Amino acid sequence: MRSRSTARILTYSVCLIVSLLCGPPLSFSGDSLVVYSGRAERLIKPVLDAFQAESGIAIQMLTADSTALVNRLRMEGKRSPADVFITNDAGTLERARELHLLQATDIPGIEDAIPQSFRAPDNSWIGLSGRIWVVVYNTTMVKPDALSSILDLAKPQWKGKVAIPSAGSVYLQTGVSVIREVKGDAATKEFLRGLKDNAGTSVYGKNRQIVAAVARGEVAVGLVNHYYIHRHVAKHPDAPIAQLLLDQEKNGMGLVLNAAGIGITAHAKNLAQAKALVRFLISTKGQQMFASVNKEYPLNVNVDAAPELLPLKSFQVANVPLSRLAELRDPTMTVIEHVGLR
Amino acid sequence: MVAFILAGLITLPLLYVMVSAITADTAVWRRLWTTRIPELVFNTFSLAASVAVIDLVLGVSLAWILTRYRFVGSTVWNWLIILPLAIPSYVLAYTYTFLLQRNGPLEHAWQLIAGADAQIFSPFSFAGATLVMSINTFPFVYLLARSAFQNSNISFEEAARATGASPLRTFFRVSLPMIRPSLMAGLFLAILYVASDFGAMAMLRYQTFTYAIYQQMTGRFDNTAAACLSLFLVSCTFIFLLGERWFRKRSRFYQTTGRFRKPIPQACSPMQTIGFTGVLVIVFAIAFGIPVFLLVQWTLDALAAGELASGFMGYVWNSIFLAGTTATLAIVCGIPLAYLACRKQTWASLLCIQGAYTGYVLPGPVAALAVLVLVSHIMPELYGTVLVLLIAYLVHFLPVALQGMESTLHQLSPNLEEAARSLGSRSLRTFRTVTFPLVRGGFLSAWILVFVQCMKELPATLLLRPVGFDTLAIRIWLEASEELYQLAAPPALLIVAITIPVVFLLMKKVQQTVTRKA
Repeated sequence: MRSRSTARILTYSVCLIVSLLCGPPLSFSGDSLVVYSGRAERLIKPVLDAFQAESGIAIQMLTADSTALVNRLRMEGKRSPADVFITNDAGTLERARELHLLQATDIPGIEDAIPQSFRAPDNSWIGLSGRIWVVVYNTTMVKPDALSSILDLAKPQWKGKVAIPSAGSVYLQTGVSVIREVKGDAATKEFLRGLKDNAGTSVYGKNRQIVAAVARGEVAVGLVNHYYIHRHVAKHPDAPIAQLLLDQEKNGMGLVLNAAGIGITAHAKNLAQAKALVRFLISTKGQQMFASVNKEYPLNVNVDAAPELLPLKSFQVANVPLSRLAELRDPTMTVIEHVGLR
Repeated sequence: MVAFILAGLITLPLLYVMVSAITADTAVWRRLWTTRIPELVFNTFSLAASVAVIDLVLGVSLAWILTRYRFVGSTVWNWLIILPLAIPSYVLAYTYTFLLQRNGPLEHAWQLIAGADAQIFSPFSFAGATLVMSINTFPFVYLLARSAFQNSNISFEEAARATGASPLRTFFRVSLPMIRPSLMAGLFLAILYVASDFGAMAMLRYQTFTYAIYQQMTGRFDNTAAACLSLFLVSCTFIFLLGERWFRKRSRFYQTTGRFRKPIPQACSPMQTIGFTGVLVIVFAIAFGIPVFLLVQWTLDALAAGELASGFMGYVWNSIFLAGTTATLAIVCGIPLAYLACRKQTWASLLCIQGAYTGYVLPGPVAALAVLVLVSHIMPELYGTVLVLLIAYLVHFLPVALQGMESTLHQLSPNLEEAARSLGSRSLRTFRTVTFPLVRGGFLSAWILVFVQCMKELPATLLLRPVGFDTLAIRIWLEASEELYQLAAPPALLIVAITIPVVFLLMKKVQQTVTRKA
């Protein structure tokens, strides 16, 4: 009796495998779209859900590290099931374009909606939302005039008071790329060494954790993307935190600005649906979600940022084009590893 | 023949990684030597060493208490104390990132004792990593120490005591040295586990080789650096295993005939009972009670808030499907290999078996990398399908199945099969009617072991899963790395619940071998 049931389990399993191997592993019928996403699900899923509800196009999403997804697209080549690639770093998108993983896209009206600096020239990637790299500080511990440049964070008086993102964070990598480009490698290394000493064990994998640590007063200041501060304040209105925009003096470096964006993959099978998604994401409705839900800067010029945010035009931004971030990336990684940031 | 092909297929991915590491640009190697390798060596070794020491102290003292003393509940404790094995390391790590956070529950508790400004160590530190890994691995040492204590001959200890040695001296000079081989085996297991762990290290951001390999794979646009680090790690593990084998050969203790007497547990005084129970309660709470309590609480929170992920049943199904298929494949592929290992002892077959066991020393990310590199060179059309994930699982977990099957087949006398064959039954029929019914139990437990390992698997799944193939482990990872404790809890609790019976099964097997030997 028992032997028969064991045999049955075996038979079933073999059948399962066979059926799996015979049919194509992933065949979607009807309207569907496969999204590779390097963004936190929490930040992108609400927008994709809204699109799915409006268009009736079913979305399959694979969330992973942005760079891992680029590697994956490369390896999958023509067979990739992905239709669009969404990520939180324009440098990664540009790298994907250089590797011929994305395709040029013609979307009517895009020239008027998204400024040229936030798109690839052939629209093979399109910026959707902007974020600036700022200092979050605890208002009971720090006076806002205590810092004027991001490089000040490496000074000894900040020892034990700074929280920084881990070396794996795309935001840190982008920030370091921009500083290298403006200040040079030697100054950047010196800055990173000081920053590493000052941060000690206050190295966090997620911006959310840094903001929370500053709000709790465990550290006085932290380096984060601006919207994490606003999201925290929206949830905890009494949190004693605020953002500080540094390097704003005349001829100063300016802020590090990056864009999250989207690109249609070179071998997209559901091209019409992919275009529909891009159209939705750059439309007023989609952009308003990035603004109101995520507190990011909508890149569509006709859509305003959330009222609690300073307008994007009101501050000085570092003069490093987004597309430069791609080539800066590898040497930046080497600098980061060399200094020993973790 | 089949066995050779299988073993070849299993070792092929590893060879590929080796080749790509050896042929790598020297600049990559130089970069790694100057920036990563020294630190990784130090981190990995110091963590392994500190975990080993804590495991030894915990494992041996608990085993001693539970084998040599009898008190209320001591038999129950025997079972409870191995439960930490049921929690995947990354689940333990994420509960402790919550418990140990600044102004977290443990810090508040500590401040009651040590004053209002006292700080507790961060989970993202050497101390944090040591804590999580030791409470996750001490049951290995405990289990082996326990069976060794039960098997050791009490006459030696009595002789020592009779000649005037103090109890403490007897323990350190007689009891402990006698169980040294078992302790070493337990320690080696624990150290290998620490060195190959990915999930907990990633959650605690503690840089060991295994974690660094994953980081290189996901942070850089080519896999060469990851391959180099893998080569280094695999070589270290290989040397380590050779050392283990050498050590085991040197230290064998043989039972002199006749005078074996099993130790009889002493009855305890009430004071002793309270003391022992106290120790056990504390260890159990830290290693299992508190984390699982948190998981239950979070799960209830998530259910109450209706936040259970909409695709939850889908994730359960994906996990079960992958684990079930891999376990079945592992058994099917394991049969010829295990057969070869037991029935034909030639150098070729030995080589073949050792080849199949390489998956054992491969940490998850390395197995994934190996399969990835191989598939992209030979069969790129398979990339991104379930099949690749299954191959990676198989490479990684076949040794688990093989071990169980080999020991089962060893217990079966070849005479039975030979009798069947001599009566004219063909080999396939012999296997079906004679061998299989006899080894069914052993094979089933091997199947279950592989199943559970697959349910918990994280790094290979992260790197190789196809679209829409998120498993329970992946959901835990995605939610926990966003610190969404409540959302990560339900899948974690489910995995723990599935693993508990398997841990007990393991315990039962250990006990059976003990009674058989005695």
